[in-house]
This record gives sequence, C-alpha cells and structure tokens, in this order.
Amino acid sequence: MSADNPITVATVHASAHKLFSVRRTWAIASNTFRDLVRQKVFYFMLVFALILIGTSVAMASISFQGQLQTVMDVCLGAMSVFTMLLAVLSTAMLLPKDMEDRTLYTILAKPVARFEYLAGKLIGVTMILLIATLLMTAAFCVVLYYWQGREIENIRLNDPVERATAAIAQLKAGTFTPTLFGGIGIILLRSIVCATLTLMLSCFATSWLFTVIVALMMILAGHLVPIARTVWQGPLGSAMDVPFHIAILMRLITVFVPDMQIFIVVDDIAVGVSVSGEVFLRIAGMGAGYVAVYLLVGYLFFAWKEL
Amino acid sequence: MNTPAIAIESLTKEFTNPSVFRRGKITAVKNLTLSVEAGQVYGLLGPNGSGKSTTMKIVLGLVTPTAGRTSIFGRDSRDVESREAVGFLPENPYFYKFLTGAETLDFYGKLCGLGGKVLRDRSRELLALVGLEDAANRRVGGYSKGMLQRIGLAQALVQEPRLLVLDEPTAGVDPAGSLEIRDLILRMKQRGITVMLCSHLLSQVQEICDRIGIMNHGELVREGALDDLISIENQTELTLENASPALLAELRERAEAGGARVLAAHKPQQNLERYFLEVTREKK
Repeated sequence: MSADNPITVATVHASAHKLFSVRRTWAIASNTFRDLVRQKVFYFMLVFALILIGTSVAMASISFQGQLQTVMDVCLGAMSVFTMLLAVLSTAMLLPKDMEDRTLYTILAKPVARFEYLAGKLIGVTMILLIATLLMTAAFCVVLYYWQGREIENIRLNDPVERATAAIAQLKAGTFTPTLFGGIGIILLRSIVCATLTLMLSCFATSWLFTVIVALMMILAGHLVPIARTVWQGPLGSAMDVPFHIAILMRLITVFVPDMQIFIVVDDIAVGVSVSGEVFLRIAGMGAGYVAVYLLVGYLFFAWKEL
Repeated sequence: MNTPAIAIESLTKEFTNPSVFRRGKITAVKNLTLSVEAGQVYGLLGPNGSGKSTTMKIVLGLVTPTAGRTSIFGRDSRDVESREAVGFLPENPYFYKFLTGAETLDFYGKLCGLGGKVLRDRSRELLALVGLEDAANRRVGGYSKGMLQRIGLAQALVQEPRLLVLDEPTAGVDPAGSLEIRDLILRMKQRGITVMLCSHLLSQVQEICDRIGIMNHGELVREGALDDLISIENQTELTLENASPALLAELRERAEAGGARVLAAHKPQQNLERYFLEVTREKK
C-alpha cells in the first residue's frame, strides 16, 4: 500500500438519497447480467438449445407431416424448456451465493434498499433471458427460412405454375407471422414469471437446491391449475364430491401456484393456429400480474430476513 | 453536544433457536447501551459468540433488533439513508469473482450514487491507496486473501464515508499488510473518520484504539478509554538507555529507601511483529 498517497476529502459525495434509484438498481442489474454471462452454465444451455434446433432439422427430414410445421413445433418447444430452465437455474443461485460470499452484506451496507437489490437481480436475469431468447429466435429463424426455401423449391417442382404461385404466397404468409413472434414473446414472458417465482422462493429458502426443486414442482403443478380450480369450484360453482384434504390441496394450488396453462397458447401457435391480439394482451397482463405479485411477496420475505 | 457517530440504546437481540428439539430464544445481545463519538477509533472486543457481529449487523441495518435502537450520526440504522455515511468491511470478504479490482470499485461506487469521472478518479485513487494499482485489471477471483482484504477496504471507502465499520480487517493478512492496514486506519482517524473495529488481534487494537468495549455473553462488561482501562495506577515504568550496573543498583536502593518496591528489572524486548518485518525487509 502506498502510505504517502493522500486521498482527497472533497468532491466525492453522492447525490441526495432517493427511495428508489434507477442508477443503483441498474448497477445491480448490469452486474447480475455480467455475472450470468460469465457463467459457463449459460453457454452450455445455449449450445444445448442450438443442438435441439439442429435436431429439429433432422426430424423434419424424416417427418411425414409438413416439415415447416415440425421445425416450428420442436423449436418452440425447445425454446420453452430452455428459457424456463435457464430462468430457474440462474435465478436460484443469485441470493444464496451473495449470502454465502458475504457480498450481500457489502451491498446492503451501502445505501441500497432491499427492493432495489431484488429488482436489480430480476432485471439482470430478465436481460439474460431476453438475450437468450433473441439468440434462439435468430437461430430458429435461420432454420425456418432454410426449410421454407426447401418447401418453396418442392412446390415449384411439383405444382403447376398458377397453383404454385398461390401456394408459395400462402406458405410465405403463414411462416414468419406476427403470431409466431407473439408466441416467442409469450415464451419469454413465461420464463420471466418462472424467474420471479424462483427469486421469491430464494428469499426464504435455505439452499439453492431447495429453491430449484420447489420452483420446478410449482411450475409443473402450474399446469394443473385449471383442473384444480374445477375440482375446488366444481363445474357449476358448487363443490365437487372430493375428499376434504384434496379440495384443500386444490385450493392451495389455485392460490399459490401460477397458472401455467395461460401460456399453453404457444402450442397452438406451433401448429399454425392464429391467435388474436386480445389473447396476447390478456396473457401479457396476467404474466405481468404474476411478476408483480411474486416480486412483492419476495420483497416482503426479504425485507424481514435476518442476514 | 456533538451527535455521536454510533449510538446504541438498550439494544437486545433474540434469535429463535433453529433446533427442532430445543425451542426457545437465544439472546445474542442483552440490553446494550454504548456510544461512539465522532473521530474516535473504537474497538469492540469479545470472544466468539459474544454478540459483537450481531451488534455490528444491527448498526448496519442488516439485522432487526428485538428491542432498543441504534443510530448512525443521529439517523436510525433502519433507514437506508443512514448507510450513506458508512463504509463496511466484513470478516473474510469475497467479492464477485468475475469482476476486476477496478470494476469492483466501480460497482460499489455506483451503488453509492457516484459515476463518471468522479468515480473513475476515486477508484484510481483508492487502488493506489491500498496498493492494488498493478492488480486493478485482474479478476478478483485470482486475488490472495490479503488482496481481497485490501479491495474490501477500498470498497468500504469508496463514497468517502464518515464512519468505517471493520470486522477483523487484518484476518489472513501477512504482518506487512497488517501493519499497512493499521497505518491506514490511523490515517483515517487523522482525517476525522470514525472507525469501529472488531478484532481478535488485541495488540493491534491496543495500538490504534482510543476507546474499547468488551462484550461477553451478549453484554457489555467493560467500556472506556483504553489508557484508563489498562494502565496500572500504582505502578510506573522507567526505561533507561546506557545505564551502568552501578546506576541501576543505586536506583534500586533509592527506590526501596523511598518506600517503593522494584517489581521487575529486565531488558525490554522489541515487538515480534516489528522484528519479523525488519528481518523480511532485510532479505528484500
């Protein structure tokens, strides 16, 4: 250490404290993003997703169905699984790692509100999910474009000119549609909901493994929410004839577990069904609602957490 | 009357026993009241489990007290704003391994609302201060324990705090590094920065602290100015240079004639730390 080096007294003063600071939140978000980018698990996930997209190409070549449809189906499915896994695995480690390394102490001993810390972490993960989705979308579009070209070539070879022109126009209009990109947007939104759910769980969990297991179980159970709701409420609003403990379990599922079935529309999009803007808006609203509620509940746990 | 840097009033902290078989409360801190005046170097001492770290965490707003209150320069510790005046170095800190030393200071500076040229200059200045200029662009994951402690000290100072809270700042640091950290703390004191220090290295505490508080089983058992607490009132030390045996014998006789009792007469020994540093510097 240079003992003779004087340090200046003045000039270094932070601006007046704000209850919520975008600058502080952004500092945590960009740091989280950098942390995750430099972790090998992210690259592994991405490479794995690319391999799956490649596999879809192989499947398309042996499928009896429309090749484009198969590519779309497999690619959207792979994107759904990988963004969800990336969301859960990358979020589950954030808090426990900061606590274990005592980095959390040094951060919260600065004028950083706990909500800013949590929001920063979530924004960092969201940025990773966004980049991962964009990269997978780019790869997906390249594969889709290639198969579209093959299909067009096939139509030109087999169909008469007038029919071929109409068929090609129809094919082009049905491939890179707004609905398809809306579906990818829903996949991204679902992964953000999964990340927020995981972040909320990690606010009171004692280990990251517990967080991962419970988060995955809740996401799986999320697909049962409509059934649970039916069992609880009954077909016409009256209680069905089910044992009391089952009814209570179903009630708990409907209250605490996110309804993952709202995102199932991606499956329809994968098979070429057109979805209205109203449906997209409704899903976006519900997704945003889940994110807000889970973030708030997570904050309430985290605000009372003894560090 | 000046506002104290840290004021702790009737502080009690109870934790729930995590054991399933032995429910109940564990009292970590019991009715603690103390005050650290601005500009002092205060040593909070005590054996492991005495409640020092819990007290520090409550002061920093990381843990909520069961009863009582703490404040930093008059602001309640639970208010986030109170931390604008504080720099904290935890025991054995680890930072984000993928960041370089410079990026680490940049990150902590931004958390304190700094940015742009002010932050860049400040980072450079602090890296020089803690002797990490050459390692500024190396990832923190490759830092030695001593280097981690230094970058920890630099991040604690990034926003020019009025209060430094240091938990075992020299843990794992070699004697030369330890001496440098001690000198740095003394320089902070000269600049009017209040320092609250937790350390098991009592010789170091003795060298730098103005006041100390000793905790045991969650209670403050002794508190006061260091000199007052450890000086022996009825004894006097006299150190002579080049005294002949005859002079020493004469002094002994005169002392006994005057009603005093000579308890010890021996050659003073130099501090082992200083001897070690002399030897290792010679080798260089």
